[in-house]
Amino acid sequence: MTYDDYLDGKPVIVTAALTGGIQGKEAHPELPETPAEIAAAAAACEEAGASVVHLHARRANGERAFSTERFQAVTDAVRAATDDVIVQHSTGGTAAPDALRAEPLRTDPPPEMASLDMGPLNRYDRLTSENTRDTVAGLHAEMRERGIVPELEVFNNGHLNEALATLDAFEDPPYLNLIFGPGTLSPPTPQTLLSMVAQLPQRAEFTVLGFGRHQLPLTTLSVILGGHVRVGLEDNLYYTAGEYASNEQLVARAVRIAEELGRPVADPSETRELLGL
Amino acid sequence: MACPHVEYRETDGEQSFDTARAYCAVAERFVQPMRADICTERYGLDPAADCEIYRERAGLDWDEPGDGDAVRRADTREQSETESTETSESAGGAESTGGSE
Repeated sequence: MTYDDYLDGKPVIVTAALTGGIQGKEAHPELPETPAEIAAAAAACEEAGASVVHLHARRANGERAFSTERFQAVTDAVRAATDDVIVQHSTGGTAAPDALRAEPLRTDPPPEMASLDMGPLNRYDRLTSENTRDTVAGLHAEMRERGIVPELEVFNNGHLNEALATLDAFEDPPYLNLIFGPGTLSPPTPQTLLSMVAQLPQRAEFTVLGFGRHQLPLTTLSVILGGHVRVGLEDNLYYTAGEYASNEQLVARAVRIAEELGRPVADPSETRELLGL
Repeated sequence: MACPHVEYRETDGEQSFDTARAYCAVAERFVQPMRADICTERYGLDPAADCEIYRERAGLDWDEPGDGDAVRRADTREQSETESTETSESAGGAESTGGSE
């Protein structure tokens, strides 16, 4: 997870965040919402080079859902449509009761990976995703029980403090998702990314998520810094200004850039080896 | 219960959907799925407390959204608590509902 990894041509893990839970078809007419739509997007992204798909579940009208039942429907559809892609479930849930947050971990089979938000962040003018230490610890405990590898969601530098302080609780290599965007997220600049990467221990692996127009430059920088890449419509709706993207297009571009920069893209088995799944 | 301004519809003339979605009659647009949780009062969310669009329409904001009216309301409540235990309990209950969100 260093510049040497870039020089050595270490494989890049490409994660496709296919749907999310904040925006829906009101924002992008082709954003996948139903299990069938999400599965089709997962298959296309796997074909394009993604080895991990990050999943959320929704109700029939696109609204957020956290129940095991809804996640089961999504994950079943994705597994049926894909060959070997690694399934990662979200445990995020602004304003959702803590009791619901672990529901996505309880599918059969459980996901190989799940997101673990490392602290609070604001939404709109009046909502906060609290993610207290107790909530984070509870979700992590259930992940351990079910053999699920967490991806530590670092929405800002304070969350990096939290992650570094608890890193011994995570098996090698701890996998951090460095997130850049507006509001209570890390300021989306190359300088911020460089600063955060400089604080990571050698044993960690990291991926980068940039909101909107920051997705392309910051994920590209991650490739150069020895990190990995997360792209997809959950984080960015556009391919260029004013031109809607598809999940597959965003993955294909990330793959093309990584390979052009001399880093091959990890297939699912290589990703499992890199992350100790 | 749901926000009085939310409607479930399949089209607004510009956008059309297979399944009826939450539409805010105040903002005159389909709302994001996460905001729809406020509209539907799901998970204990409350438009009067949590939705800046509702609050602006209802004249509940002191000035502009995001100007910290909740903090200033808390100042008012603290002042009331010194005047009346009964008022304090009432305000505390209301705050608990808001605080859990």
